[in-house]
Amino acid sequence: MSRNAAIIGCGQTKHSSKRRDVNLAEMVSEAVYNALEDAQVSLREVDAFVVGNMQGFGGIAQPEQWLGDWIGAVGKPVIRIATGGTTGGSVGQGAYYPVASGLHDIVVAVAWEKHSDSKEAGATTGLLHVGLGNFFHAASYGLSLKNLVATSAVGAAAGVAVYQAVFYMHRSGCSAEHFDMVAAKARRNAAKNKYAHLQWPGCTPEDIARTEIIAYPFRYGHICPASDGASAIVVAEESLARKKTRQPAWFKGLAAFSDEENQLQSENFGGVGVLDPCEQKGCWISATKAYKMAGIKDPKKEIDVAEVYQPFPSQELIFAERLGLFDEGTAWMALEKGETDIDGRMPLDPSGGVNATNAIGSTALQRILECALQIMGKAEEHQVPKKVRNAVAHGWGGVTSYNTVTVLGDSPGR
Amino acid sequence: MGYIKEERPETIAVEGTWDVGSYHYKGSKLLEEYVKGLKQKSLIGSFCPGCGKVIVPPRNLCGRCHLIMDRRKIVSNRGTITCFIVTPPIEKGKLKVLGMDPVETGLIKEGEVVIPVFVKFDGSDSNTDTILLNTDPKAVHIGMRVKVLWAKEPQGALSDFEGVEPL
Amino acid sequence: MKSKSEIIEVQALPFAAGFNWSTGFLMQRFIKELANRKFLGAKCPECGYTYVPPRSRCGKCYTKIEEENLITLSGKGTLVGYTTAYVELDGQGNFKDLKEPGIIGAIKLENADSTIFMPLEGIKPRDVTEGLKVEVQWQEETKGELSDIKCFRPAR
Repeated sequence: MSRNAAIIGCGQTKHSSKRRDVNLAEMVSEAVYNALEDAQVSLREVDAFVVGNMQGFGGIAQPEQWLGDWIGAVGKPVIRIATGGTTGGSVGQGAYYPVASGLHDIVVAVAWEKHSDSKEAGATTGLLHVGLGNFFHAASYGLSLKNLVATSAVGAAAGVAVYQAVFYMHRSGCSAEHFDMVAAKARRNAAKNKYAHLQWPGCTPEDIARTEIIAYPFRYGHICPASDGASAIVVAEESLARKKTRQPAWFKGLAAFSDEENQLQSENFGGVGVLDPCEQKGCWISATKAYKMAGIKDPKKEIDVAEVYQPFPSQELIFAERLGLFDEGTAWMALEKGETDIDGRMPLDPSGGVNATNAIGSTALQRILECALQIMGKAEEHQVPKKVRNAVAHGWGGVTSYNTVTVLGDSPGR
Repeated sequence: MGYIKEERPETIAVEGTWDVGSYHYKGSKLLEEYVKGLKQKSLIGSFCPGCGKVIVPPRNLCGRCHLIMDRRKIVSNRGTITCFIVTPPIEKGKLKVLGMDPVETGLIKEGEVVIPVFVKFDGSDSNTDTILLNTDPKAVHIGMRVKVLWAKEPQGALSDFEGVEPL
Repeated sequence: MKSKSEIIEVQALPFAAGFNWSTGFLMQRFIKELANRKFLGAKCPECGYTYVPPRSRCGKCYTKIEEENLITLSGKGTLVGYTTAYVELDGQGNFKDLKEPGIIGAIKLENADSTIFMPLEGIKPRDVTEGLKVEVQWQEETKGELSDIKCFRPAR
């Protein structure tokens, strides 16, 4: 039988487009020491570390080897987890398991990304590596360079999410204007979050609609940034959690799902077996499992706030539906009514979400961290104005095929 | 009002390169029959004995059943667009792919609009990634019927499949 | 199981990803100071352990180390370990014989606690011993880059 575990402290660095005032180890340890201070835990009390970032991004193959004696891990076990865009979610869940199993009492989880160390803009270097072996293989069979450049031209800019957005628009009837609304909300919320990257107080959908189109239906104003930053949480077992914090954020339900790729024809250029990339089977299956584990029967009524993984505004709507928070095809209607605003009935991404801050390795952990802040009442200016009993944090990645869902609550529920 | 800007000092950098092109990549001969089929103007897909899905171009394992797809099926040259992207007119200096500027290297004409699409060919159960040619960008829609545009001189290579065009 | 005849060699396109890793302030000072033919070390204000090159957090007691904790080192030190290389990699995955064997030494600079790894020249492999006194040899022209350090030699 597993024991209860909770998050007792959170720490982040300010996320920005270039943290070139520090090297990687300095940036990551900033987040770790912030989290330890927030949790009022000394390094001596920490039993283990779980770390992670996107594999290969930032040009460092084994960052955990460098970080060990910067983050206080000498003499303690360190595991690095890398699962694409869901890295942070897996890292957060990876800190839960050793505590729940009884192996460790206090575990620190930290995830980060330092895009500015790559010479190419944004996440291009890393993203290209995802497809390079496949491109070379196809080129060996005479794939025309024009075809290759044409399909990866869009990939380099807006990526696979563009296809997903077009599918969603067709299925649900929403329009590009709804994406403007989501992007504006993200930037307004981020202005209330002192650690976020793209902060635009008072941003309106019209401001977003004025930006240039990258590839229909996405504009520059819709796209997430490539941020440098790190985030960390401290996870403790029940009796320590109750002693250290007035209101811990309890892990109630967790699940993860890896599906076959939804796009990109990787693995020897074969066809893509999933016909609808916005189906996201993995999201609704993990959500069902996580809610069951958490004892939540009606997420629409019982979830108070959700941090959805949305580097693109279309995904806030898609995943909010797949997480069971809205009926199929209706999330955009709720957005119009203001239900997803910070003070709405079902606030989505009050921190601004991934759309406003994207240090890829860290973002899925940040979703768990932000839910924890909401439950603990520590979200300061972007705290939702109601009692938060249950919150759901979501992570997504891979070739649109990985999903992690974590449900946190104000009591262990067991 | 705009974005809140942040000023931070910058420290010097140590440089390095990761030469991805110098690795010895290995692949399988899976596409061998597919490109032979292209030379004959025929699309060959692999067929899963578990769920019956047909995947074009062929794959060796079914992604959901994890069974080996060693059987083959020929699908129609005609299909339906299931998804599309329309780029704005591509200009020189705006884009770099694999270190190349597509307009400078002559691959794409200045001002050309590129339309990558997913096509589900009749008989196939998969999305095939390709580009849509010879059409007004405004006419593209989900459900549009298209057919393969073959290269004039087929070589038995992936470039024999130039793209798709409206039926 | 794939048989050997099913595996093919895929031709890779030339593509090298470029990186520039920012160094942080202490390492930046170290690199810039090489122009003046000086080594900087960082002395932890809490436990006194001295690192070269400098780092902003002590790896022993995790105390923050600041610019004011930097000290100048003499560039002289003692060899605490070494090895000799007879081949090098050619960048294509093959070994290439070196014309002359290359000695790499682990050197503990005076007043520093951590060791640095540097090429050792001006001595034959069979004459090298632990405890040998060594000193730095700079390039003709020092520009404030890591390559300003040419090698180490037995101290005169």
